[in-house]
Amino acid sequence: MIEVRNISKSFDGNKVLKEMSVVFEEGQTNLIIGRSGSGKTVLLKSILGLHEVDEGAIFYDGRDFTNMNEKTRKKLRQEIGMVFQGGALFDSLTVEQNVRFPLDMFTSQTSKEKEKRVDFCLEHVNITNANKLYPSEISGGMQKRVAIARGIALNPKYLFCDEPNSGLDPETATLIDSLIQDLTKEFGMTTIINTHDMNSVIEIGEKILFISKGEKCWEGNKDEILKTDNQTLQDFIFANKLYAQFKQNQ
Amino acid sequence: MKDYKTQIKIVILCFREISKVRKFFFHIGRYFHMLGRVFARPEKHKLYIRQLFHEIENLGVNSVGIVVIVSLFIGGIMTIQFAYSMSNPLYPKNLIGLGTRDTLLLEFSSTMMALIMAGKIGSNITSEIGSMKVTEQIDSLEIMGINSASYLILPKVVAVVLMLPVLYVLSVFFGLIGGLVTGPIVGVISVNDYLEGIRWLFEPYYATFSLIKSLFFGFLVASVPAYFGYYVQGGALEVGKASTKAVVNTNILILLFDLILTRLLLT
Ligand SMILES: Nc1ncnc2c1ncn2[C@@H]1O[C@H](COP(=O)(O)OP(=O)(O)O)[C@@H](O)[C@H]1O
Ligand SMILES: [Mg+2]
Repeated sequence: MIEVRNISKSFDGNKVLKEMSVVFEEGQTNLIIGRSGSGKTVLLKSILGLHEVDEGAIFYDGRDFTNMNEKTRKKLRQEIGMVFQGGALFDSLTVEQNVRFPLDMFTSQTSKEKEKRVDFCLEHVNITNANKLYPSEISGGMQKRVAIARGIALNPKYLFCDEPNSGLDPETATLIDSLIQDLTKEFGMTTIINTHDMNSVIEIGEKILFISKGEKCWEGNKDEILKTDNQTLQDFIFANKLYAQFKQNQ
Repeated sequence: MKDYKTQIKIVILCFREISKVRKFFFHIGRYFHMLGRVFARPEKHKLYIRQLFHEIENLGVNSVGIVVIVSLFIGGIMTIQFAYSMSNPLYPKNLIGLGTRDTLLLEFSSTMMALIMAGKIGSNITSEIGSMKVTEQIDSLEIMGINSASYLILPKVVAVVLMLPVLYVLSVFFGLIGGLVTGPIVGVISVNDYLEGIRWLFEPYYATFSLIKSLFFGFLVASVPAYFGYYVQGGALEVGKASTKAVVNTNILILLFDLILTRLLLT
């Protein structure tokens, strides 16, 4: 469980996050949704400590992350897996080396054990026969999946994904969504996903936080979201023609 | 009324200059802050050593070719020029070899080579680190709890600081060879006169002085472009711009340090 308590963040006087409070539950897929530029990435990076927050605090299962010293933070980060928007695989390493990287850095496993773990992770994201390829040699969807494999290599308690299916075709996007959900269930992770994709919302939105202009605007789940009478949220959802039609037919 | 306008203009200009100066100090501060992180203790020594060898090959060994070619040419050209400017029979023939040697030892093989390396290695470092930055690979390292500055930059700095003195020695050697081959072929000096000249009045301190300079230049050539890459924001376009800025600034700093070190160590 990750608790965000009243955090604010501004860049050069421009307030990007305003007094945000939210709780993300364990073993389920928590979604942060909102328009481009609404502050999703900043919120995610603030929770991760890549941006220092101006006010407020963040708790990882009760552990105060905001006021933690650098050393304890580093320890805690080894419980975190992150999948960046573009995958952020290391260009100079092969698929296999990318997934093994966190193991090399933080475990004292033997090469055999590492190899087993790498294969296990890659199998879980359905990547086979690509071990020796470089990120530039595989498709965008595969890059995302390898990034997920790297994210779960250290068996994290917390998984963060920044727009995991942006730039992918609808079919692959759905596959990635259900993959993340399955992994979340299987390993009991607290998973937080940034997205502006309504399909993901309907597919895997067990808990949804809608933010607009850096403010929390609505909170709920996928069953509640289509029935909302929150105007800003309605504008966001029904910007998509398909959902607008769906609403009319109801 | 006109006076009033010029006064405002002057005030605006002053503010602009002040903000430039502030920016300058901002960069200096952030550069040293970065260095502080770079020289933190590396996390895993084995990985660090592996990285170091990779960088020595990537940044150092791969530069040997250009150093050899440039030095051969410059050595040859300098010999011809010295021969030309000392064609007066009153000057001893030895001066040609001596001139070539001392120019290589003192200035060319250290400073000019560093400037060339700033172009080759420096832009390479900025674009590599910069593209890692804009594609969030650096964030990715930080998330894993890895000190990205140390992990990425330290091996490069150490590799270049180690390699630049080696390249200096190579450059002096091949510069002298360039003169030895070109001078007699062009017919401006005989092999014997040249060989005698390059041994005449040899001052070993010149080499020591330049080796010390090379260490400083090596540090600049690696760390300044790393700084420009590490803090780049935006996309591929900005990475390109940062590379250019990095090379220009590194060159200016090399010349500045050349001036300071020459003043301190040579006069
Ligand atoms: N490092 C930064 N410095 C300054 N402004 C930033 C920075 N990162 C994000 N912003 C601003 O914060 C706002 C929210 O951005 P972001 O969180 O990336 O949006 P999104 O919801 O699309 O992920 C944008 O207006 C962006 O310009
Ligand atoms: Mg974003």
